[in-house]
Amino acid sequence: MKVELANIGKKYEGRESFTIRNIDLVIESNQFCVILGPSGCGKSTLLRMIAGLNSITEGDLLFDGKRMNRVEPKDRDIAMVFQSYALYPHMTVYENMAFSLKMAKERKTLIHERVLEAARTLQIEEYLYSKPSEISGGQRQRVALGRAMVRKPAVFLMDEPLSNLDAKLREHMRVELVRLHQALNTTSIYVTHDQTEAMTMADIIVLLDQGKVQQVGPPSEFYQKPANLFVAGFIGSPTMNIFKGRMEQGLFRSENDLILVEPNAEDARKLKAYEGKAVCMGIRSERFNAGKAEKNGITVKIDVIEMLGKEQLLYCKFPDGQEVIISEPGHFEYGLNEDHNFNFDIDGLHFFDAETTMRIN
Amino acid sequence: MSRKKTKSDALYLSDRQPLTTAKLISLIVSYILLIFWAFIILWPLAQIVISSFNGNQGSYISIGGEYKFSLKHFTYLFEQTYFWNWVGNTIVVAVATALLTLLIVSFTGYAYSRFRFSGRKASLMTIMLLQTVPTFAGITAFYTLHSIVAAVIPGFTRQLFLILIYAGGGIASNTFILKGYIDGVSTELDDAARIDGCGNLQVYRLIIMPIARPMLAIIALWSFIGPFLDYMMPSILLNDPRSYTLATGLHTLINDQYNMQQPAFAAGGLLTAIPIVILFIALQKELVSGLSSGAVKG
Repeated sequence: MKVELANIGKKYEGRESFTIRNIDLVIESNQFCVILGPSGCGKSTLLRMIAGLNSITEGDLLFDGKRMNRVEPKDRDIAMVFQSYALYPHMTVYENMAFSLKMAKERKTLIHERVLEAARTLQIEEYLYSKPSEISGGQRQRVALGRAMVRKPAVFLMDEPLSNLDAKLREHMRVELVRLHQALNTTSIYVTHDQTEAMTMADIIVLLDQGKVQQVGPPSEFYQKPANLFVAGFIGSPTMNIFKGRMEQGLFRSENDLILVEPNAEDARKLKAYEGKAVCMGIRSERFNAGKAEKNGITVKIDVIEMLGKEQLLYCKFPDGQEVIISEPGHFEYGLNEDHNFNFDIDGLHFFDAETTMRIN
Repeated sequence: MSRKKTKSDALYLSDRQPLTTAKLISLIVSYILLIFWAFIILWPLAQIVISSFNGNQGSYISIGGEYKFSLKHFTYLFEQTYFWNWVGNTIVVAVATALLTLLIVSFTGYAYSRFRFSGRKASLMTIMLLQTVPTFAGITAFYTLHSIVAAVIPGFTRQLFLILIYAGGGIASNTFILKGYIDGVSTELDDAARIDGCGNLQVYRLIIMPIARPMLAIIALWSFIGPFLDYMMPSILLNDPRSYTLATGLHTLINDQYNMQQPAFAAGGLLTAIPIVILFIALQKELVSGLSSGAVKG
C-alpha cells in the first residue's frame, strides 16, 4: 500500500508550538522506509499519527489515495511493533498473537493456522503456551513481530523495536526484519534513532530534526550526498570532519589558514558563486590519503588512536588545536604524538553554504 | 573411611556475621517482646473460642470456671435470635457493596489514570478532601436523602441505602489506589490493544482489568469486610431487628441486662469470621501475587 503524507502537522494539547509541521512524504508500496532522527525530533509522533494513535492536527494522511485522518486504528489495516513490545502479560504467547484476529471475530481454524504460520516463520513454536514473563527479551521481540504478522497488515509500523536488545541480537534481528519485510510484501515504516539500523535496512530514509524533514532518499545518497550540515554530521560513524572557511580564488581556505584545498573541476564550477563567501567543507575520515603531496595536504599530530582491527581511527590535532578524525588501514603503523602528512581526496569533498547550511556540490 | 562430623568441621553457611553476645541478648529481647505481643492478641481470641463452646458459662463470660463442652450457646444463637437473618443480611450487603465498589472504582480508576480532561486534578483532590469528613457526620443528610428517594421509589429500603453508603464511602480512596496501580501499567499496552481492535471499555475489560486483578482483589476484600465490622450505621439506619447486619445484631446480645448472652455473642463472633476467611482463601492467590508483583519486573 502506498502511504502519502501531505503537509502533515501535529500540535499537542496545551503546547505552544507544533511538534512537527509541513511533513510531505510519499512511501511507495512495498518500500521499507526508516524514519530517522535524534530523540525528541517528533519521529514517534509521526509514526503514531500514521497508526491513528495520535490525531492529525493539519494535513492529510492517504493510504492508496484514501484519506485516513479519521479512521480508527483497527480499520487502517496496519500493525505496530512497540519499543517495549507491549505484550499482554496475562496472556500466553499464542493468545497474544491470536488477540487481534479474535477481536476481528475471525474463525478459530483460521486464527490457529495464522498463529502457527507466524510462529514457524519466527521459530517460536516451542514457546506458544508460555507467558511473556517466562521467555527472554529476544523471544518477546519475536512474539511482538508475530502478533503484528498474523494480521497480514498492508502497512507494518515499528517503533524502535530493536532498542531493547543486546548488540549481537540486534545485528541478527536487523537481517531478519529485512527478510521478513520481503517475505510479507508489505509497506514497512520503521522509526529509529540508530543510523546503522537506518543505513542497513532502509530502501528510503527520512531524516527528521526539530520537526522538519532534513532529507529523504536512499541510504547511499545520505552518505555520499548529505543535503545539509545536520545530515552530514548525523550520518556516518565516525562523524564527518567539517571545516569552516571561505572561497578565495577558487580555493577553499580554512579559518585557521592551515587548510588550502583545490576542489575538482565539477565542484569548482558550483563553487564559483561562493567566491569570497563563507563555506563549510566536509570530508569523511576514510577520504584522506596518507603521505605528503604537493597540494591539498595537511600536517597533524596524532592525539588518540582507536584500533578497530581492519582499520584504525586517528584522532589528530592541527597545531591550533582543531581536531580531525582520519581512518587508515589497521596494518599501517602510527604512534601517539607523531606528526604525519595526509592529503584530501578531492572527489570526496562536501561543500555547504555556511549561512543556510545547505549543500552546494 | 568416612570422617565423623564434628561441630568445628561444620561449614558456616549463613551470610550474616556470627552473633556477638550483645546481639544475642537483643535478639532474645526482641523474641520476648514479640511473644508478649502475640499473647495480647491471641489470648482474647482464645477466650472467645473457649467460652463459646463452654456449657458452664452463664449469660456473662467468666474466666477460670469449670469447662464443659457444649453447643448450647450456638443453639441459643440459632433458635432464640434472628442470627440467620443477620447472616443473610450481612452477606447480601457485603457482596453488593463489594460488587458495586468494584464496578464504580473500575470506571473511575481507569478514567483518572488514562484520560486527560478538564478538572481532572481538581475533582480528584475534592473527592479526597471530602473523604476526611467522617461518614457519620452525614447522617442527617442520609435520612433526608433516603426519605426523598423512598418517596419516589417505594422499594428503596434502608438496607439498599446502607449498601450505597458503604460503596460510596469506599470510592475515593479505592479510586486513588487503583489509579496508582493502573498508572504503573504501560500505556503502550493500551495502544497495542487499540490497534488490535479494542474500544475504550474493551481495553479495560480485556487488558487492564486482568493485569490489575491483584489490586481489584484487595479492593473487593476490603469492601466485603467493611459491613462485617461496622456497627454504627446499621444500628442507626435500620429499625427492624430482623433487618440488622451481624455486627449490629450481635450487639443486641450484650447491650442490655435482659438480653445479656455474652457466650452467644462470642459464638456469633466466631461464626462471623467464617465468610471472611473463605473469601480470603479464595482470593489468596491474587492477594499474594498483588503484594509481590511490585517487586518483580514484568
